[in-house]
Amino acid sequence: MDLTIAIIVTVVGASTPILIAALGELVVERAGVLNLGVEGMMLIGAVVGFIVQFHTGQPLLALLAAAVAGVLSSLIFGFLTLSLSANQTATGLALTIFGTGFSALIGANYSARPVPLMDSVLPETIADHPIARVLLGYSLPVYFAFFMVFAVWFFLKKTRSGLILRAVGENDHSAHSIGYSVLGVRYLAIMFGGAMAGIAGACFPLLLTPQWAEGMTAGRGWIAVALVVFASWRPMRLLFGAYLFGLVMTMEVYIKAGGGLFSAIPAELWAALPYLATIVVLVLISLKRDASTNAPACLGRPFMPGN
Amino acid sequence: MMQFRLEKRAEPSKFMLYATPIAAVALTMLVGVILFSAIGYNGFAAVGEIFLTPLTNPYKWQELGVKAAPLIIIGVGLSIAYRANVWNIGAEGQYIVGALAATWVALATHGQGGFWILPLMAVAGAIAGMAYAAIPAFLKTKLNVNEILTSLMLTYASVQLIFFLIRGPWKDPMGIGFPQSRRFDVAARLPNLTVENFGFLGDGALILKGLVERVHYGVPLAIFIALVVWFIMTRTVFGYRMRVVGAAPHAARYGGFSQNKTIWMAMLVSGGLAGLAGMLEVAGPFQRMVPGFATNYGFTAIIVAFLGRLNPLGVIFAGFVLAITFVGGQIAQTTMGLPDETTGIFQALMMFLLLAGDILIKYRIRRVQPDARVGAA
Repeated sequence: MDLTIAIIVTVVGASTPILIAALGELVVERAGVLNLGVEGMMLIGAVVGFIVQFHTGQPLLALLAAAVAGVLSSLIFGFLTLSLSANQTATGLALTIFGTGFSALIGANYSARPVPLMDSVLPETIADHPIARVLLGYSLPVYFAFFMVFAVWFFLKKTRSGLILRAVGENDHSAHSIGYSVLGVRYLAIMFGGAMAGIAGACFPLLLTPQWAEGMTAGRGWIAVALVVFASWRPMRLLFGAYLFGLVMTMEVYIKAGGGLFSAIPAELWAALPYLATIVVLVLISLKRDASTNAPACLGRPFMPGN
Repeated sequence: MMQFRLEKRAEPSKFMLYATPIAAVALTMLVGVILFSAIGYNGFAAVGEIFLTPLTNPYKWQELGVKAAPLIIIGVGLSIAYRANVWNIGAEGQYIVGALAATWVALATHGQGGFWILPLMAVAGAIAGMAYAAIPAFLKTKLNVNEILTSLMLTYASVQLIFFLIRGPWKDPMGIGFPQSRRFDVAARLPNLTVENFGFLGDGALILKGLVERVHYGVPLAIFIALVVWFIMTRTVFGYRMRVVGAAPHAARYGGFSQNKTIWMAMLVSGGLAGLAGMLEVAGPFQRMVPGFATNYGFTAIIVAFLGRLNPLGVIFAGFVLAITFVGGQIAQTTMGLPDETTGIFQALMMFLLLAGDILIKYRIRRVQPDARVGAA
């Protein structure tokens, strides 16, 4: 029982940043933009979140600062790809390279200094009860991620603004000709994606390992991008996918503890498993590709009003 | 108020195509001064150390060559792939497995000696790089799985493969517990150029002595490869075909060029060259497999390919520019205490500014007078 609870708690923790970042990217892609800079924005969010937490001890302030940092870095991408119609793939890669270098630079003096992890929403004494622990024993970002799954689903499916955003992603020229600002919608979507990636990054020092380390997101931003494909651009499927990955990422600890056949598998293979699993998942999803799993029609295509 | 407006050019500007990379480098230095001043460093000194000192100090030139060689080799391969619209961004992983295969040959032939060991390592490196790139190629052509994600995920996996091999089967028995392979035999080490190579210069060769001591054979090889690829891409049917498939897939299909074949070729060539670069690095500067072998050359080469305008001759130029930032970054680290990561920021800035400048190829900026606008409308 104790082990089961421990597993659930770790899986939920590991899944949360991927889920948050992937939700942001899902909205961006639904608007027809492919931002491959998620990993870079996450690293910037991680270092900014860490620094604010380190100096103020205010986790909410840290999350907010990380979101702002994510938005600012996403605006570099937005300006280049929207206002200057630069190649989205190349710009996203450049953003990741930038975020890696920039976060390492401003975090250089903070390596290996501890910060307090965020408290869980319930007081310790109540959280001792196993069921309360599993349902309510997490810190705020976990519930934020759940809430956002629902919010993004509701926004895309049930609101007029969501309809406009989808129209912009499916057919930019028609949306433009009936008077919607394609670039305006895309700027907002990109900023939302940036805020989510920033918060997701801050989850690493605030939720998982209470310190800053260079490149500490370790490719999770890329896995988030892959998850959007896996979820075929649908928020509810994203929830499932992110938890599946959280499970793959934390399996190692428990199987090793349990001993037996699996403990003979080298640690490096376990460490490579999330990345290999991503490839397997992408393959599986491609095998059952149908109309319901298609990417937004304008994904990655630049749009220039007046041309 | 003055207003500006973008106006589409009738034809893409050739001038801008080549002028914007140079402008991007110059602007990077300017933005660098501002950025580094803003965060409390002496911006002018930082940019000077990073961009100028490597050029003004002749003893740093060989460092430039050594750093530029892998960037040029990988960058040339990537420029072929990107021209064909094949987004191989896992060159770092292909570079790593290339080096691992070469290491395997070096360790397996340990103690034997022989002139054939280095060529065998090169072949093994190239084949391993190709094989690793074949995975995304297969998944892309058979199942239409995005090659960006698969090639990148394989890079993360390859780093773990280094750790596994040097902690386990390849661990140096004399390494006092360090996770690294044993040092390669002389026969498996890439020799450096010597003054004798320049005998044709007569007494002049002696001047070169201090300038070539650290330059290994991979450096001239990199430039040679770039020239050969340039010739193939511009002067042969194969090159024409790769360019057409990338630029106009529909026309290519009419012309009977198979897209799948192009994807395969693009991935195999870029993966093979990345693998070869990995072999040259492990047999040259490293001489053994170490945990820090993942040097990011594979990622930096993406910038090299773009800055070089996906043209092998441009890639030679861009390879040296990026090498300057690496060497200059190290200089600034020792003289100014600037962190190592500074280099990455300059490299990313260069890429941002280059991508921003791309718009000038297809559009021109027109000044619009507010009153004149009424007449025009």
